[in-house]
Amino acid sequence: MLIETKNLAHVYMPGTPFQVEALQGVSLEIERGEFVGIIGETGSGKSTFVQHLNGLLKPTSGEVLFDGHNIWTKANNMRKHRSRIALLFQFPEHQLFEETVFKDIAFGPRNLGLGGEELEKRVRYGLELMGLDFKLYKDRSPFNLSGGEKRRVAMAGILAMEPEVIILDEPTAGMDPSGRRQLLEQIKRLHSEQNLTVILVTHNMEDVSRLAGRLFVFSGGRLVLEGTPVDVFKSAETIKEIGLELPPLTELLQELKKSGKDISTDLFSVEDVGREILQLYREG
Amino acid sequence: MRSITLGHYLPGNSLLHRLDPRVKLVSLLIMIVALFMVKTFLGFILFGSFVFFIFVSSRLPWRYFLRGLRPVLYIVLFTLILHFLFTKGGQVYWRLGPVTIEEAGVFLGTFMTLRLILLVITTLLITLTTSPISFADGIEFLLRPFRRLGVPGHEIAMMMTIALRFIPTLMEESDKIRKAQMARGADFETGNILRRAGNLVPLLVPLFVSAFRRADELAIAMEARCYRGGENRTKMRKLYTQRLDYFGILTVTGLIIIIIVTGV
Repeated sequence: MLIETKNLAHVYMPGTPFQVEALQGVSLEIERGEFVGIIGETGSGKSTFVQHLNGLLKPTSGEVLFDGHNIWTKANNMRKHRSRIALLFQFPEHQLFEETVFKDIAFGPRNLGLGGEELEKRVRYGLELMGLDFKLYKDRSPFNLSGGEKRRVAMAGILAMEPEVIILDEPTAGMDPSGRRQLLEQIKRLHSEQNLTVILVTHNMEDVSRLAGRLFVFSGGRLVLEGTPVDVFKSAETIKEIGLELPPLTELLQELKKSGKDISTDLFSVEDVGREILQLYREG
Repeated sequence: MRSITLGHYLPGNSLLHRLDPRVKLVSLLIMIVALFMVKTFLGFILFGSFVFFIFVSSRLPWRYFLRGLRPVLYIVLFTLILHFLFTKGGQVYWRLGPVTIEEAGVFLGTFMTLRLILLVITTLLITLTTSPISFADGIEFLLRPFRRLGVPGHEIAMMMTIALRFIPTLMEESDKIRKAQMARGADFETGNILRRAGNLVPLLVPLFVSAFRRADELAIAMEARCYRGGENRTKMRKLYTQRLDYFGILTVTGLIIIIIVTGV
């Protein structure tokens, strides 16, 4: 098991009138090479949860295990750990600060003690994974890029650390449809081609149902559902109760099924669903 | 997220809380002047008991109050030590080689220390019981007479309000950026001062960028609502003076008159 949490709980500002129990008793397991989605409403604790995975927050109680080891023991080098489990926050372009794209992407690897040729190799690797040309971008100021480019540079900065796990918190927030599709495509390739373990945090059910192999649904600081998208979406009631929506396609299929049609409800792409409905139509 | 007590304001409903902020500001000014007119220890006792009376009527928790005093303790101690060592005159109390502690030093040191402590306590009493927003309102009103001299009272109050409004936002923002850079292996906790200062660049640059962006957005939003400061602007929170306020001003004026007339 690559990542495991045991009874994880987190309380913000304990002992003050502002005390908030953000997480309660979360136990879950994620295997190497998996693509999992973490979904939940705003304030459900999903962001708090992922910050525990790379040690940015210390659990109030419970444990986080990485590769079988508790990450909060003295022996664990936290900076090293953070380079193995990389976390990309929402609106990552807000973290850019250097004069050039090269320097900014090099920030992470440099903190790992890399320099010279290896450093350049890492920067090139990060940029190329995000589909940006090394020569064209390396000397530009990150502040003069377009929104989409900025975000990709920020992501390249994380990838340049060559993490094993990458956690993405709403990576497509505020992007236009084509930029979104492109970015999701790139994330998918990170998983399939680079064998990265990907944890996608989002409240967009549609994207996550197409990409993730397994879903964890959070509500009110607790893990309420887990399983494959097909399994999770079977609990349509629960999902609506906690303020989320089924992906429109799944909802359509489930409605058709409810009205007595013989149709499969475990399809997530427009093409597949279209074919299925067309077939139903032909059969009359 | 670290919580900060800004200006240490503690909401409440005591006499002091209910005083008009304008009255509180004026009283604070009068009291500071009075404090600097005190010439004898007897005067300090008078002033001190008045402050103590206000403190009791404010119903502030004393523990919280003392915590607010802690930061100035060092300055007070520093003053005390400087006076003890370097103010000369009168009888010599203590001697060690070239170092002497003399009468004038002890007198002046204690005097200054008392004055400083009372000054801080008085100010703290006001800031602890006045919300920053009503503070700004009060300042706006009190600056009104200076408009003819070109003092933009309303604008100053507006700037204060906006600044106060954005402190929590920027705190949150800096917390987020700090975490984002830590996720990239940044180190904000170790190393000597120079190194640490240098390590702050990845935090400060994005923070400034975002502050400027926010300022820009806010300006546009205000413009879009046709904001225009100053003349003929009605207020959402209107300030009213009650009997309590007149009583407050009278007491404070009484105090300063007693101090001047008796020369204590």
